Amino acid sequence: MKIKTTRFGQIDINESELIVMKGPILGFEHLRRFVLLIHDRSTPLCWLQSVEDPSTAFVVINPRIIRPDYNPPIVEGDVEFLDIKKNEEIALLAIVTVRSQPFRVTANIRAPILINAENRMARQIVLDDPGYPIQYNVIDHKADVNKGVSLTGGGWTKTTGRLAQQTIV
Amino acid sequence: MLILTRKLGESITIGDDIKITFLDIKGKQLRMGIDAPKHVSVYRGEIYQAIQEQNLEAAASDLHISKVWERLIKK
Repeated sequence: MKIKTTRFGQIDINESELIVMKGPILGFEHLRRFVLLIHDRSTPLCWLQSVEDPSTAFVVINPRIIRPDYNPPIVEGDVEFLDIKKNEEIALLAIVTVRSQPFRVTANIRAPILINAENRMARQIVLDDPGYPIQYNVIDHKADVNKGVSLTGGGWTKTTGRLAQQTIV
Repeated sequence: MLILTRKLGESITIGDDIKITFLDIKGKQLRMGIDAPKHVSVYRGEIYQAIQEQNLEAAASDLHISKVWERLIKK
């Protein structure tokens, strides 16, 4: 199916690539269908592009790349809500806020997007632990980024590969 | 906004399956118990708002991801 996007023009995607927000991205309750767009296999930052609104897209990243020890508890309610049957089905994406002037990169690791990689249903979950910031400063933790990249095998994890098939130039 | 007055120990039911019971008051702090199905998320208001605002800010990200990554992994 063809979708219009503000940043990348018209692109061709498969219905099977869609990620469906069964629970909303807070503030974007009206948008439920998204697709994960990659730049290339060495860039772990991806775009979560709305299929319904061409102008809405979020920069996202596997939070373990920017914080290798990230292992938040996932509550039973969320597991059941997304019909998660095995640990291997769990994928997490943190929404990243980027500004160029001045250069600023923060990731919301307090409220990651929980995805069932098997059925592609997702929900933005809010963790209880205030030790996971809403604005985790990625630039300050650059050293962790390099560690995370090498731990996850170059930043391109099996899970991202399952979720994203589309490349943007 | 619907405004109600309850006494301690009393409750309100929202929809078919959410119940809030007002348990205790200590000064300005109110303790309440919430009965809701597991799939229903319950958020502290200020956290919910902060996340909504951050999501809105994030949607205005203004740099291409390749440029961001280049700068991040540069030594």
